[in-house]
Amino acid sequence: MDFSLLTFGDGGWADEMLRGALMTMAVAVCSYLFGIIVGILFASLKLSQFIVLRYVADFYTTVVRGIPELLVIYLVFFGGGALLRNIASGIFGYDGYIDPPLFVTGMVCIGLSAGAYITEVIRGAVLAVPKGQIEAAKAVGMSTGKRFWRILVPQVARYALPGLGNVWQLTLKETSLISVIGLVEIMRSAAVASGSTKEPFTFYLLAGILYLGLTSISNRGFLRAEAWASKGVRYS
Amino acid sequence: MKKLSLIFMTLVAALFAGQSIAGDWSKIRIATEGAYAPWNFTDSSGKLVGFELDLAADLCKRMNAQCEIVAQAWDGIIPALQAGKYDAIMAGMSITDKRKKVITFSRDYAATPARFVVSDKSPMANFKTGVEDMNLTVIDPKEKAAITDIVAEFKGKTIGVQTATTHENFLREYLGENVTIRTYDTQENLDLDLQAGRVDTALASMSYWVPLFESDKGKGMKMVGPGMTGGPFGSGVGVGIRQKDQDLADMFTKAINEAIADGTISKLAIKWFGFDASSKPS
Repeated sequence: MDFSLLTFGDGGWADEMLRGALMTMAVAVCSYLFGIIVGILFASLKLSQFIVLRYVADFYTTVVRGIPELLVIYLVFFGGGALLRNIASGIFGYDGYIDPPLFVTGMVCIGLSAGAYITEVIRGAVLAVPKGQIEAAKAVGMSTGKRFWRILVPQVARYALPGLGNVWQLTLKETSLISVIGLVEIMRSAAVASGSTKEPFTFYLLAGILYLGLTSISNRGFLRAEAWASKGVRYS
Repeated sequence: MKKLSLIFMTLVAALFAGQSIAGDWSKIRIATEGAYAPWNFTDSSGKLVGFELDLAADLCKRMNAQCEIVAQAWDGIIPALQAGKYDAIMAGMSITDKRKKVITFSRDYAATPARFVVSDKSPMANFKTGVEDMNLTVIDPKEKAAITDIVAEFKGKTIGVQTATTHENFLREYLGENVTIRTYDTQENLDLDLQAGRVDTALASMSYWVPLFESDKGKGMKMVGPGMTGGPFGSGVGVGIRQKDQDLADMFTKAINEAIADGTISKLAIKWFGFDASSKPS
């Protein structure tokens, strides 16, 4: 292994790999937050009393969880750009080249698939809160808002966190798929560096180490959050 | 409400219509992989360099076009062309019948011939044929004699080749009954067995052999026999273009013909590959 390849600056590839890691982190965090918003929205649809809304949410989670993420990326990236251009020329008569920004495309793709899993995690957590507690809260005269913040949220957070941590790790690794759209994250940096230097082992090993670093650091964060959310519970 | 339904109709129409950008080629966006040295790769400062980058700059000057180079991973390089992310692909892409079903190509600008390699101590180390280069698409009498020579020389020998390549196709088609063919998943494994003497000779692209011989890994090996192109080896490397943009393909073909005629492509090929991999004038 040639360690001069892993120096910073113009002679080595360490800065390129590190920039790739930052991009992976940025895409993962943004997609995850987007996924949580989507997940909360669709979980509330799934728990709604209106059958149409439940069907809409079922359709989303069934389709997105049921097809490969790579296909979601192809649909959003290739289909989305073409659709946008056709709208531009069809409605506004603009014939130039437009494209949604790569980062946003990547975030939407990964976020949509994370959102589908998060929907199910949150739905499960809400259903795990005993019905009797909500009824008791109603009986002592708590308002809807109070019931939500004091009874539901703290317990849902506790039940959902292990599942959410799982989805986070999936999201982090799924970002490797978006190298197909041209976003330069860890996998694409490694592919470029190994193809250009003919030293694949060095760079894919480094990519593995970077992923492992990111997942193990964030895993600790989730363990802490779980401990915090369970502070009112005694496991005996 | 009327307006809303109009927008909705346009959306639906847009989905099915496929986009239509007029053929104004003063600006061309060209995609490359950026990870396939020496064709196109990235230097450690992050700049795209290589044979095709230099060639693209030259061709664009000839076409009076402003070119933008886009780096795109190899997976998805054709779908993104279809989706209109860019207008042309220059990424060491061989012109094959399978690809021709979905995109069109300019004429080829480079064709790296296939060569046999043996140990320099081998009895075949000085094997030569009557021709130095041959194109198997149309075989003339001299080339026919050369093929007979190749079959005679390698009869009963073991030949190594990377699996699922045009080179393997050639061996099966031309030498299949007279030799033992051993396939390898990677070229590196094949090199090891050639050095260990487990195979008598190996067949691969000259653009692979030449840089290898310049490094330590290629010690004690040498190329023998003619350089072979065409036929089972495909029709060289060309610019990939959407099928509806035949006019752009023709522009590239014209510029490539000029660049072959005045020696620009040979010069660039020698600079990047160490030998003349340029296509012959048509």
